[in-house]
Amino acid sequence: MIEIKNLSIKLGNFSLKDISLSINDHEYFVILGPTGAGKTVFMECLAGLHRINSGEIWLDGVNATSLAPEERSIGYVPQDYVLFPFLNVVDNIAFGLRQAGYSRADIEEKVKYLANLMGISHLLHRETHALSGGEKQRVALARALALSPHLLLLDEPISNLDLQTAKYLRLELRRFHRELGMTTIHITHNQREAEEMADRIGILNMGKLEQVGKPDEVFFYPESDIVSDFIGTPNILKCDSYQTLGQGLVEVDCSGLNIVLPHFGDCVERIAIFPRDIYVSQTKPPGPEVNRFKGTITGIRPSGAIVRLDVKVGENTLLAEIPNHIFEDMDLAIGKEVYLIFKLRRIRAYEGKKT
Amino acid sequence: MFQALKLKGHAGDRAFRAATVSALALLVLFFITIVASMLTYTHWSTFISALFSAEILFAIRLSIITASVATIIAVLIAVPAAYAISQYDFPGKSLVDSLLDLPIVISPIALGAALLVFFNTPVGAWIDDNVLKFTFTVVGIVLAQITVISALAIRLLKSTFDGIDPRYEQVGRTLGCSKPEAFLKVTLPLARNGVIAAGILTWARAVGEFGATITLVGATAMKTETLPIAIFLSLASADVEKAIAVVFILVIIAVAALFTIRKLTGRKYRL
Repeated sequence: MIEIKNLSIKLGNFSLKDISLSINDHEYFVILGPTGAGKTVFMECLAGLHRINSGEIWLDGVNATSLAPEERSIGYVPQDYVLFPFLNVVDNIAFGLRQAGYSRADIEEKVKYLANLMGISHLLHRETHALSGGEKQRVALARALALSPHLLLLDEPISNLDLQTAKYLRLELRRFHRELGMTTIHITHNQREAEEMADRIGILNMGKLEQVGKPDEVFFYPESDIVSDFIGTPNILKCDSYQTLGQGLVEVDCSGLNIVLPHFGDCVERIAIFPRDIYVSQTKPPGPEVNRFKGTITGIRPSGAIVRLDVKVGENTLLAEIPNHIFEDMDLAIGKEVYLIFKLRRIRAYEGKKT
Repeated sequence: MFQALKLKGHAGDRAFRAATVSALALLVLFFITIVASMLTYTHWSTFISALFSAEILFAIRLSIITASVATIIAVLIAVPAAYAISQYDFPGKSLVDSLLDLPIVISPIALGAALLVFFNTPVGAWIDDNVLKFTFTVVGIVLAQITVISALAIRLLKSTFDGIDPRYEQVGRTLGCSKPEAFLKVTLPLARNGVIAAGILTWARAVGEFGATITLVGATAMKTETLPIAIFLSLASADVEKAIAVVFILVIIAVAALFTIRKLTGRKYRL
């Protein structure tokens, strides 16, 4: 159990303000926030690399607030891995074990085990500068895990990797976590990554912890505009009735809108759809009437390469996004009527807070 | 003539290139000329006999020993000092930082004079008489060299430590190193090339040290006669052959030092 009580720190003109958070044993906790939110500083505070101005950090029942990094039993993987360039892969992984005075045989066994788990056995005698990003990542991870730390800190572990490697590493990281069971804090600015990986998410912005919760809770119940902005301001609708249609589809009634979506389960409390997943048309589109609604434009807001439209449908106001060039080809104005079509597969359902 | 500055297009490019390259060529030619003039001045046989004279062999040995001892002491002090000035904040840091430039810029003879004056104060005289004899001894040569090279060593090492990402040490700490262990096992290996380069450059500087040395220990043949002092003594007694022999030894030492550094660090370290 990790408890952070009222942590505050000021570094130059940047600060973390009064952060309180508990993280359970074996939890995979993701800290999500935009660049410059203070994620790395927060992590460095946990690792003991900064003296905090006020507050306390408790690690497994021990007040670690003033403990040095080497006294905290923490595995730390910094953003660009920071492998020791003067050591090869084996010696990097074995660094902590040697430091702790393990016997030669123990070190060899542990390194072998970790290399197998990470799938880097074939790299053990390479120099670190000859490794790819994904390989470096694994070596850094093995090095951090060698001492079986109680807490693993991952600073943007996936952000610098190419898409393919990143996708694979998300699964791998969860696998290592399942297998080794250490409490993990992972920081990222990527919302998809956070949702996919986290047991719980904490949203950090401008040095403040805005919201903590399970990925679905944060997504469907954003507690502040900052959070809902950050997760992409989806349209969230409360559902009043629920009916199974078969073939994995359900129909819900959201304050007058009958919406069909794919869902398996007993109930749907809320649904959400991203503005980019709503199709806008001036004329009545052909095809089935499913998830097609007529509404009136009440607002037009250009925002970079896209234009945001507020569309009033019944008693709901929905937010839709269309690319600039398409907007220019259309003849849209406030007060005009448009048809909206929800992309069926992109509608997300939430069954309600699990107790 | 100022018309040339206004040349447009490729003509301007070419003129500028010609001007800068000429400056370079002029300087190179100058150095070749002065070295070549020494070659014309001496014969191979007299050069060899001068080189292997007892006096020159003594000077070579004395220079290498004193410079090596001075370098080891200077680097041992400069490594922690440079680390402190690179990594820590303390009151008066910028003042200390500027003070450290003084021994590099100031004339070595002034430093030697300052040392000599110090050993004439009651405290200095007491040290000289009761602890270790510095004035006019070989130990004094080492002290004079350390005085001249330590600031240079700190300067070079500071830039090495400045270039090391502190996160390496931080990761070392999370892997169980105490601060001193992290320094020894992480930072020092990272600084290895920089430390070696600083050692070689300061050593070469110590071998060439003249001003502070002669002021503190005088120029006694076969006693305090380092290589630069040997040149001075040879010229003073109009023995040009011998002076030339020593000049070549110093050139060879300098070239070897620079070559080693270049091999080691890939052109990174310059004076």
